[in-house]
Amino acid sequence: MTSMTAIVATKTRKQIDVWRMVGRIFLVFMLLYTALPMIWMLLTSIKSGFAAMQLPPQWWPNEPTLASYQKLLDPTNSVGQDFLRFFWNSLFVSTATTILAVIVAVPAAYAFSRFDFPGRKFLFFAVLLRNMFPAVIFLVPLFILMRLLGLVNTHGSLIITYLTFGLPLAIWLLKGFYDNIPYQLEQAARIDGATRFQAFLLIVMPLSTPGIIATAIYSFIGAWNEYIFAYTFLNRNEQLTLPVGIQRFFSENTTDFPGLMAASFIMSLPVVVLFLLLQRYFVRALTEGAVKH
Amino acid sequence: MAHVVLRDLVKTYGSFKAVNDVSLTVNDGEFVALVGPSGCGKTTTLNLVAGLIPITSGEIAIGDRVVNDVDPKDRDIAMVFQNYALYPQKTVYKNLAFPLQMRRLPRDEIDRKVKEAARVLDMTHLLERKPRELSGGQQQRVALGRALVRDPAVFLMDEPLSNLDAKLRVQMRSEIKRFHQDLKATIIYVTHDQLEAVTMADKMAVMNGGFLQQYNSPAQVFAHPVNMFVASFIGSPAMSLIPLEASTVDGRTVLTGAEGWTLPLSPLNARKVQRSTTKKVVLGARHSTIKLTSHAAPGAIPARAYTVEPTGDVTFVQALLSGALVNISVAPNIAVAPDEQIWLEFDQERMHLFDGATEMALKVD
Repeated sequence: MTSMTAIVATKTRKQIDVWRMVGRIFLVFMLLYTALPMIWMLLTSIKSGFAAMQLPPQWWPNEPTLASYQKLLDPTNSVGQDFLRFFWNSLFVSTATTILAVIVAVPAAYAFSRFDFPGRKFLFFAVLLRNMFPAVIFLVPLFILMRLLGLVNTHGSLIITYLTFGLPLAIWLLKGFYDNIPYQLEQAARIDGATRFQAFLLIVMPLSTPGIIATAIYSFIGAWNEYIFAYTFLNRNEQLTLPVGIQRFFSENTTDFPGLMAASFIMSLPVVVLFLLLQRYFVRALTEGAVKH
Repeated sequence: MAHVVLRDLVKTYGSFKAVNDVSLTVNDGEFVALVGPSGCGKTTTLNLVAGLIPITSGEIAIGDRVVNDVDPKDRDIAMVFQNYALYPQKTVYKNLAFPLQMRRLPRDEIDRKVKEAARVLDMTHLLERKPRELSGGQQQRVALGRALVRDPAVFLMDEPLSNLDAKLRVQMRSEIKRFHQDLKATIIYVTHDQLEAVTMADKMAVMNGGFLQQYNSPAQVFAHPVNMFVASFIGSPAMSLIPLEASTVDGRTVLTGAEGWTLPLSPLNARKVQRSTTKKVVLGARHSTIKLTSHAAPGAIPARAYTVEPTGDVTFVQALLSGALVNISVAPNIAVAPDEQIWLEFDQERMHLFDGATEMALKVD
């Protein structure tokens, strides 16, 4: 009997090992799939224009150079001027979107979580309804709306649009957070001498910091990477954001691949840095909102 | 410290009346337990006193001040919550300091008071820890500390012991009682555990369905329950309630069981029964007032043992009588087997009689 169970046990153990191996191979494949283009982007960005076009490709640049980066970041030449302006535009639009998203989402999520007001369910459903359709559907209607409002060719049109798309998930994410903060904490604070607002500010807000940070990152990345609305709403060169700017900028002349890759790399930097700094909050927000304690 | 007066307190949610015309006075320095089954309105009543939910009608006074429209922070109360509600991001020290900071006390005075409270509750070594690093009992103690650091007029406690394990609960029970004796604090304490109420409180307010059933000392409530609900709720095991029929045989008032036996009543009990609105009378008897014998005796009623539960120092026997289960406690050396024929003798002096229709206790003035 005991030898039988031992055999069965080793057999299942072996099966588990096989599945674990399969899983790891899959993960390695996924890692290569996502990381290789990034590495290639980085390698190309430090090649010369000629080296980038060579066939067979130089796997490792023979003469690595930072010339493309110098050109992009140099405000004295026209390329650098444009690029830095696009960067600044993107930063402004994304930061404004993020700040406004947090300012609106925090009280909205708190209200959805704590108060029972008429139309609460309907409103919450309405908030989520937006996310059930692909964003492109709204492209033409929003363009018409922006034209009526006189907002075409302004950064305001983008900020409003990004808020429309970013807020539903931000509110939903934060509501999950507030739902998990026991109401008794606020009651205790109010008995301990806080006003309702102080209880929110001093007790609830610090506890929901991970959620707020996650919301902010989410809004920022969404706005930073967005292409199609920026492409449609903005025409004037000095207003373009990075995704549109880079695309237009380099397709105008012959495609300067090292320059394009260097620009792409610089563009992905803020997102990567934000994520590395704050990813533990982001993960906490996504998991903590989901489970009851 | 201060007294608390509730006058005709009502709280409704839509058409549901959670608290129904509750009036009671908590004297200065008194420990009052609000006790009742879940959903009886006891926690709602406490939250009304705290000001955490608005009252529908009635009046609440703390000290001599009507506080109906006063913010919780200005009511001069402290509250201990069932789940302790410690601020998870703050250390124990900061948890205790928070109510003092909100009152803008000078920093050195806050420090002195926090350390004093920590010393009293024997948790000086825990001051730098976060709540999640504490055991349930320690968290309980911090919650208590946060309440007492402020020296409030009234302490409100909402089932503070129900999250603790049985052993710790007994220990904290005596600590809170000691705390009350030392501070002469006015305490309103909500619990669903009648044993907590009986052991700790000066007075207990038994609630059911939003109504205050009885408000008196535990001894009085135990000895003279006003109705069948209070009778069955207070005491463990519960008082047995046996539905019977009253009649007069040969000029004597007797109660007749469903099995046909009769129980002649003493003159005092007979006068009580005569006040019943119908012939239906419910006999209430606590386990310790029923005498169990293994043979027929004058006045003893035949019954059949149903279950036998030895607990060590006392054995509980349940018997079926007139459709009700009757609890009897006997000495552990008395051997009773399930389904055995037994005889029960009721103590006329200590039996309770209820009107079968109104469920109110029958009394003679």
